[in-house]
Amino acid sequence: MTAVTQPSEVDGKKVGPAVRISDLTVAYRTPAGELPAVSRINLELAPGSITGLVGESGSGKSTMALAMLNAVQKPGRITDGSIEIDGLGDVVSLAGKRLREARGGEIGYVFQAAQNSLNPLKTVGKQLLDLARSHHVEDKRALVRQAKELLSRMGLSGDRVLDSYQHELSGGMRQRVGIMLALVLNAHLLVLDEPTTALDMISQSNILSIIRDVHAERGLTTLVVTHDIGVVAEVADRVAVMYGGRLVEQGPTTEVLKDPKHPYTRGLINAIPRLTGDPEVAQPLPGRPPTLGTIPKQGCVFRERCARYAADPREDCETTDPVASEITPGRLVACHPVAAGLPVEVSVEEGR
Amino acid sequence: MSESTVDDVVSAAGDGIRGRGIVKTFKARGNVLAGSTVQALRGVDFHIPPGGAASFIGESGCGKTTLGRILAGLEDYDAGTLSVNGVDLTSLSRRKRDPYFRRIQMIHQDPYSALNPTRTVDAILTDPLTLRARQTGRPKSWIAKRQREVLSLVGLEPDYVLSRYPHQLSGGMRQRVVIARALTVDPEALVADEAVSMIDVSLRLGILRLLRELRETVGVSVLFITHDVATARYIGADGDLYVIYRGQIIERGPTETIIANPVHPYTQCLLSAIPVLHGLEVPGADRLTPTEPLADTQSDAGCLFAARCPFATDRCRTERPDLAHHGDPEQLHACFYPEQRRVVAVSA
Amino acid sequence: MSTTVDLPVSGPAVVPARRTGFWRNLWKVLKRKPSRMVGAAIVAVFVLTGIVGPWLYPDNLPRDSDQILAGPSASHLLGTDFEGTDVLALLITGTRYVLVAAAFAALITVLIGTAFGLYAGYRRGAPDSVLMRITDFVLTIPGFPLLLVLSTVWKFSSALQMGLVLGLTGWGGLARSVRSATLSLRERGFVEAARGLGMPTRHIVTRELLPNIAPYVAMNLLIGVTTFIYSQVGLFYLGVLPFTSNNWGVMIQLAVTNGVTQTGAGLGYLMAPLVSILLLTLGVVLLVDALDEVFNPRLRED
Repeated sequence: MTAVTQPSEVDGKKVGPAVRISDLTVAYRTPAGELPAVSRINLELAPGSITGLVGESGSGKSTMALAMLNAVQKPGRITDGSIEIDGLGDVVSLAGKRLREARGGEIGYVFQAAQNSLNPLKTVGKQLLDLARSHHVEDKRALVRQAKELLSRMGLSGDRVLDSYQHELSGGMRQRVGIMLALVLNAHLLVLDEPTTALDMISQSNILSIIRDVHAERGLTTLVVTHDIGVVAEVADRVAVMYGGRLVEQGPTTEVLKDPKHPYTRGLINAIPRLTGDPEVAQPLPGRPPTLGTIPKQGCVFRERCARYAADPREDCETTDPVASEITPGRLVACHPVAAGLPVEVSVEEGR
Repeated sequence: MSESTVDDVVSAAGDGIRGRGIVKTFKARGNVLAGSTVQALRGVDFHIPPGGAASFIGESGCGKTTLGRILAGLEDYDAGTLSVNGVDLTSLSRRKRDPYFRRIQMIHQDPYSALNPTRTVDAILTDPLTLRARQTGRPKSWIAKRQREVLSLVGLEPDYVLSRYPHQLSGGMRQRVVIARALTVDPEALVADEAVSMIDVSLRLGILRLLRELRETVGVSVLFITHDVATARYIGADGDLYVIYRGQIIERGPTETIIANPVHPYTQCLLSAIPVLHGLEVPGADRLTPTEPLADTQSDAGCLFAARCPFATDRCRTERPDLAHHGDPEQLHACFYPEQRRVVAVSA
Repeated sequence: MSTTVDLPVSGPAVVPARRTGFWRNLWKVLKRKPSRMVGAAIVAVFVLTGIVGPWLYPDNLPRDSDQILAGPSASHLLGTDFEGTDVLALLITGTRYVLVAAAFAALITVLIGTAFGLYAGYRRGAPDSVLMRITDFVLTIPGFPLLLVLSTVWKFSSALQMGLVLGLTGWGGLARSVRSATLSLRERGFVEAARGLGMPTRHIVTRELLPNIAPYVAMNLLIGVTTFIYSQVGLFYLGVLPFTSNNWGVMIQLAVTNGVTQTGAGLGYLMAPLVSILLLTLGVVLLVDALDEVFNPRLRED
């Protein structure tokens, strides 16, 4: 097997590799020139942590996830920055055979809507053997044994699933198969793109607890990319919030949820209807998320939807793209007023 | 049945939409010879008052979507009665029935496929309005006026959207166009099937709020179909919540009552599955770890939920419980051992 | 009441999008790729030849008996045939028959195929069964023997007769594929919504379904033209049909029977219609590429 990333040991427990993303920029070629979908992202995944990357459509989160595999499709390309993974090196500089081995080998990737990422014409077992062939696995028997173990760990019958075609499996089961295929080659860095989209609540809850358990048992570093703050709240230790290709806030999940600093994070959390308390607490965010072509070229990308900016338009919000600054240890926020130490809450008249 | 119809007509004007014992059975695909069937709905009763709200929650495949399609006239039902403002549709001919179904409009889950990609918003709204103008004998000038009215009702700027194609609008705007189109026929009710699940998180609440406001502004009632109880609560906190499991209603009652005081284990599983916003909330003390149906063969004997229920007994596996009252006179459940459990996350 | 106007956050707020007509769209889409312009130019030249061509020459083309099966020269740009008639003149006067027959056949195919396919796919049930049985019947008609039999009655001197027979026997495949496209379209939300709004079937079929299969139908129309050119030329070449008029198929047939393939003399006589068919096919293929964008507003944009 190709796995080189040996889990490091922290307090005698196996944990996954550390990942350092620095100044990552991914741009797409469009008729209007090359536009950045991901712009100068700095993010560190601590060994053994689960990080949740949250964003809406057009935030660049899926591009980020693909960049982790250096698999950004044309007309996009990584124009700048690096993704250093312990024991593997900079993924951005990998190419050819070494890159193909790393994908699936060291880095396990579960595709968005795993329902569509399985080949409908082949059984799961056949696809497992394809994976073995492409990664030059010698001991196929051991691999099948490993796959069955993983499947039964997730509450499925290994024999039955390996003999099944995609259409014979439910959404939740396919997502489990996706996780199995991502981990069967002993990856220690797991990237999940929208792992619960299109699943209903109970399947979602089950998949989330599987992610949590498998993460702990196998000693992984996990990145969960999602649009759903609830998903992050359930599984992630740390959360990073993306908007318009920027990382606008990151920090420990409970702290960010309890006291979001960036106006976007605040707005997003406020826009979630809740089960208890006054339903009127939930407030919609005005405007709509930008697309690649409509991301403001200058100044803060969020200002047009920002309640704070609306109440107190500052000049620096219009002229300079705010840089993430550490306000308390481990919490980074990219917002001019927050960096200036101003209160997050401004009195905005009701009526939205 | 015919007696109640007479009574209904007397109390006609404001009865809203009422279903009694709706049954729908599908033939299982690829199994014509064996004649196996899937019971999508097993005798469902419900009532949506005018301008009111009712929410159907349950997992995918529980029959909630089928019920919505039956209400919108897109699917037939096999048994039971359906009445709109006291008029029993079951006994009417297809031709006479259609105008009633037209007053129940479906809001689809996917706002992209719900709009014809080759037509502008203008054309999308003009056609049903032209039909409506012809039917009601209104002048042509009414069409353009009404077009602007419905767009303003859904919070869209007519000058911006009218000349645009669906793909030039955001998901939230598209869904508003879908709602505006439904409003062209002055509907009695909107059936919203997972109407926000494909829309960006920051825009979802706007759509939910719109649906809720339309109940007041135009008096339309909303049947909300979802697997997300919190969104159901946002739209219809004052309405009824129906929990469906495999085609049977297993718990129903006022939305707030059911959320605060669920007694059926399945309802409790559904509520437990809602993510807890750690930091803002703490999980309920009795949060159940729900299981998924990973085996596709499920027996129809006894309580339908028995196979997955952590509290099932031998009685549950042989006998089917009927809907029964519990505490609050309006709360009904189908469980032999109803018990209150604190499963919903509470604010920290 | 609610004033949450859902507007885009940037850009001109209330600028109505420009609506453009079909022909302007077509022009815009053609301009986008040079290959499309080439295709359009080729097709236009042939169409023009078909319309104007026969008027340029007398009904009976002059013969130059000194020049039989001659090679290209200043007086006969493409050479002459076995009777000394100018090949270019033959080619030009023969274009109309070929194009009219093919276009008429394609038109019939598209009209019947689309109507049958749309209606059967949308209505399903009994109308579907009846229409599709008819379609199957048409698909199983052996067109070749039918033409043989018909040629004993009809002389096919009119291109419209030719086109009618080709079209009436050739629409089965299109009907089937339009039906399956319609079957999947009718499950789409906007068709259900139209039904739910009480829109009449006519509206749903012509306004909701048709625009969505239009690129496909238009593509079939264009490709149909080339297919029908091949089939009628083939029929004439095989000598199945009497030569009552001058056209490309007759030219090829006569070139071969007069030994052009053996002797090589008068190669222009054989090559001119063949190259014309190839050129026209090329033009159509280059043009087909533009159709998707003409009909799909989404692809029309950059």
